[in-house]
Amino acid sequence: MTQVIGDLALGVRLAVGGSRKSWGRLALQGIGIGLCVAVLLLAAAIPNALKVRDDRADSLNEVAQGTGPAPLLMEEMYVHFRSLDIAGNYVNVRAQNAPVPPGLERLPGDGEIVVSPALAELLASPDAGLLKPRFPQKVIGTISQAGLIGPHDLLFYAGDTTIAEDESNRVYAFGKTYERQAPEPILWMLSLVGIVVLLFPVLVFVGVATRLAAAQRDRRLAALRLVGAAASRVRLIASGETLVGALTGLVFGIGFFFAARPLADDISIAEVAIFPADLLPTPELAALVLVAVPVLAVLTSLFAMRRTIIEPLGVVRHQKPVRRRLWWRLVPTVAGIALLVSQFGAIGDKDSRFQFYVIAGVVLLMLSIPVMLPWLVERVVSWMRGATPALQLAVRRLQLDAGTAARVVGGVAVVLAGTVTLQVLIASVEKDVLAEEKRDVAHNFVTLTPKDDFDTAGFKDAVAASDGVRAVHVLDRTFAKLPDGRVTNVSVGTCAALKAQAEVTDCTDGKAYLVRFARGTAEARPGEVVMVGGKSPWTVPELAEVPGTAPGVFLTPAAATGLDLSGEKPQFQAELDLAVPDAAEHMRNAIAPYSWRVHAYFYGQDDTAEVELVFGAVRRALIAGSVLTLLLAGASLLVMALEQVRERRRSLAVMAASGVPRGILARSLLWQNGVPLVLSTTIAVGTGVLLGVMVVRVFDAEVVYDWQGMATLTGASVALVLAVTALTLPSLRRATGALGLRTE
Amino acid sequence: MAIGHALLGLLEGGPRHGYDLKRAYDERFGHDRPLAYGQVYSTLSRLLKNGLVAEAGVEAGDGPERKRYAITDAGVTDVERWLGTPEKPEPYLQNTLYSKVVLALLSGRSATDVLDTQRAAHLSVMRDLTKRKADGDLADQLICDFALFHLEADLRWLELTAARLDKLAQEVGK
Amino acid sequence: MSLLVAQDLHKSFGKTHALEGAGLTIRAGEIVAVMGPSGSGKSTLLHCIAGILPPDSGVVRYGDRELTSMSDRERSELRRTDFGFVFQFGQLVPELTCLENVALPLRLSGMKRKDAERAAKDWMAKLEVDGVADQRPGETSGGQGQRVAIARALVTAPKVIFADEPTGALDSLNGERVMHLLTSAARETGAAVVLVTHEARVAAYSDREVVVRDGKARDVEFVR
Repeated sequence: MTQVIGDLALGVRLAVGGSRKSWGRLALQGIGIGLCVAVLLLAAAIPNALKVRDDRADSLNEVAQGTGPAPLLMEEMYVHFRSLDIAGNYVNVRAQNAPVPPGLERLPGDGEIVVSPALAELLASPDAGLLKPRFPQKVIGTISQAGLIGPHDLLFYAGDTTIAEDESNRVYAFGKTYERQAPEPILWMLSLVGIVVLLFPVLVFVGVATRLAAAQRDRRLAALRLVGAAASRVRLIASGETLVGALTGLVFGIGFFFAARPLADDISIAEVAIFPADLLPTPELAALVLVAVPVLAVLTSLFAMRRTIIEPLGVVRHQKPVRRRLWWRLVPTVAGIALLVSQFGAIGDKDSRFQFYVIAGVVLLMLSIPVMLPWLVERVVSWMRGATPALQLAVRRLQLDAGTAARVVGGVAVVLAGTVTLQVLIASVEKDVLAEEKRDVAHNFVTLTPKDDFDTAGFKDAVAASDGVRAVHVLDRTFAKLPDGRVTNVSVGTCAALKAQAEVTDCTDGKAYLVRFARGTAEARPGEVVMVGGKSPWTVPELAEVPGTAPGVFLTPAAATGLDLSGEKPQFQAELDLAVPDAAEHMRNAIAPYSWRVHAYFYGQDDTAEVELVFGAVRRALIAGSVLTLLLAGASLLVMALEQVRERRRSLAVMAASGVPRGILARSLLWQNGVPLVLSTTIAVGTGVLLGVMVVRVFDAEVVYDWQGMATLTGASVALVLAVTALTLPSLRRATGALGLRTE
Repeated sequence: MAIGHALLGLLEGGPRHGYDLKRAYDERFGHDRPLAYGQVYSTLSRLLKNGLVAEAGVEAGDGPERKRYAITDAGVTDVERWLGTPEKPEPYLQNTLYSKVVLALLSGRSATDVLDTQRAAHLSVMRDLTKRKADGDLADQLICDFALFHLEADLRWLELTAARLDKLAQEVGK
Repeated sequence: MSLLVAQDLHKSFGKTHALEGAGLTIRAGEIVAVMGPSGSGKSTLLHCIAGILPPDSGVVRYGDRELTSMSDRERSELRRTDFGFVFQFGQLVPELTCLENVALPLRLSGMKRKDAERAAKDWMAKLEVDGVADQRPGETSGGQGQRVAIARALVTAPKVIFADEPTGALDSLNGERVMHLLTSAARETGAAVVLVTHEARVAAYSDREVVVRDGKARDVEFVR
């Protein structure tokens, strides 16, 4: 046992060494592993953060059942401002003991309002001029974290004593847990694949960071082996060395994590932003990360050193390494592809085990990159002949030691592949989503839906008088139950009103139109008898098919004879003059006094933009993340390149002395970094696309390629090679200076 | 080695008795083989005959006659020529070479020059041997190599001496 | 007549004065041994006259060109075309095969791979190392490696070969062979050789020697 500890300690001493160079290497390793640890801790904190959010969301649910008269009446109404949705709660306090929602000190009285910090900030911002008229109330406080789900929630509670009790607005208490619906499979799968794809490279980088400056260490340990240390002892010494780096990494990582945590509420996407306090890994996951990283580091270094331990002489004498074998490297690739292919179209399955297979397939394919790459680099390089002296020098160098280069760029390749996969996935899913959500951007109608009975004539006048409103149309809406049990919308209005809904042409009274559903479901067929409002039968007349934004049946008044519209509130369509800036906001301000009684929804502007925003943000985050990982890869590539220059100092100096131009030496370095990276980028994009396509096939969606994103990443990796080579040049210059010849 | 040159070199420091000369010689170069009195006087009389030394008075006193000898200009020239002429490169030279170096130091001449001159002579012979080796058969090569290694040993010793000249000068000057 | 002339060279590294007024003359085709104890400035003198190191002061003339006023690039090219180098160790590119190492200077001057390797092969045969053409330097013996290096130095038909302790890492027999091959090849091609060594037996392959002591060089003419 003391032997074991002694060997580990020797490893520690070798790692630290005491020279400035060894401290630098340790710091670099610490930063590399530390970044990975921080990312892993962040990921480990997400489940907890989501749970805390869910818990708070539950605590905000109102309880509508109780005995006696309701102590509180609450009307919920979204206030839309440009592309922002502000969740509004209008309350009427009817008893002293009225329940106070979490996060509020007291309930607002008439003319009072409590706002969330984000809303307060929005109202104070210079852009809020058009929003303020909708909030004439006196602000009596802000909602604390307990009453918010995320830090960017736009939310308010406003007092309004005019709310009359009905069956939908009674509140007896707050805090009710509803059965949570499982997330939609496609989103759930997307998240899981995303997490795997993003976290896997992190694990690979733990390995890469562990192997920083590995060639030198290999030689050191080979020397130990040559002087008679047994293989098991060399393994222990190596483990000791690696552990120092890994533990330094853990310390750095925890530091990074807590340093980055306060930034969690600065994330600009409201749905993703998290209260820093919510971001804390569960003890189990944190422990898993803190144990897994050192274990992974040690295993990686032992695995990578297996040849040094078996053939120490080969490392010391720089002999040509033994050829890598292919067959076992193919296993993950084949298994991964097989697993994924077997699950094509499985998204419809009720059996949820397919998720496991898909994840396993993705992980296996990702794993196949770092496993295959050393073999591939070796093979490609072995039949490359140097056409120019620079290329020849690089190729020969790579033939001697393809492993080191392949390992570093293997990390890059995994990141790239993961990113490309996600890009294909997102592009494909995004196309689906956008196809349904956004079919007409030039839409210029605001839909006004009254929630309560009020003087609709006065309301219509107020809307019409607003700046930028061309006309106000009335639309009666109901729904129809089809014979097969499905439901479609039915709208009745004048030709002018219908134009707000669909691209109707040559409209005359008496005509009827159909806008198809994007997916071709739930169509009303002429002659069919449908149940209007679910209760009164009606025969569908002849329908003219037109393109439009909202699917359903559209009738002119004459065509709607016999249609039972009792009990339905009319809907208003305000036709805007889009030439007037912010026409919708002006109109909404004009009807501000109606507050919760009218929902003003600007289709297209309120919604589609948000979808684009989220996807855009996700894509940006993805690119930022992969660029970050690329930088990490660049750092390790740089260390490797610098070390190689140092190691080959003598040979470089002699070449320079014999008149080999420095340009050729520099170009050989460029090739030496570039050849593996170009190979790995090709493999990465290939694997990424393959993976993306296969997962999309599992979703049964159409494959879309994000060429621009791929080009960005490929460009970034090329830039990386150039940057790394450029940074190596000063040390090359030093090595090739005449002083390099002097014996040390 | 010529004892005469050594005695001349010692006389350069100033006139001495024959007995003094013997003692100085034994101290510096005699080591295991002290000079016999007879050898000293016969050498001195030869030098006297050749005009390289001159009598510089007689000291009266007990015991044997105490004649003082001084070096002449011709004697100085002779020493100079001797120091400037390399020894014929051959094995077992160290006695002569050593004497030369010490005398050069004693007389304030450049010991380095003595060494360089000798090296040039050695190398010249070594070059001939090397050429003979290239043209000869194996037997020639082996014979030449023997000579080459010995000459090289001399030169190595010379280099070592050269490297220690400062220290030697200190000791000689004591 | 004189191919390479150096006058009054000074060179310091920090506080160490490596050369203090050294000078020498190399004539075409002659083999000159530069001798002297370690630390005397032999190697620095070689680096300066070969245009690897610029001296702090002094002049080096090669033919009618002044090396000391040439740019780094020009000197680099001159070294590649007119000079050849043999060092004690570590001069072969470890990744390249021996043949590729020998062919490298020719390829750098723009010769086609095939032609360069054919010329390289000829020289390797002359130096009796054509057997290791496809091996890497790490797989050859020290003597073979030095002979490969000599082949590389000779392949461009240089006017001057600079050899810095070429036998320093070899045993006597291998050293003799390397020296014999180097000098006879140089005489055959008419190349001058500047041979830095501290071994007399190696210096005996020269026509004359130059002794460097305390940063000063003194010419010793060949006394016949």
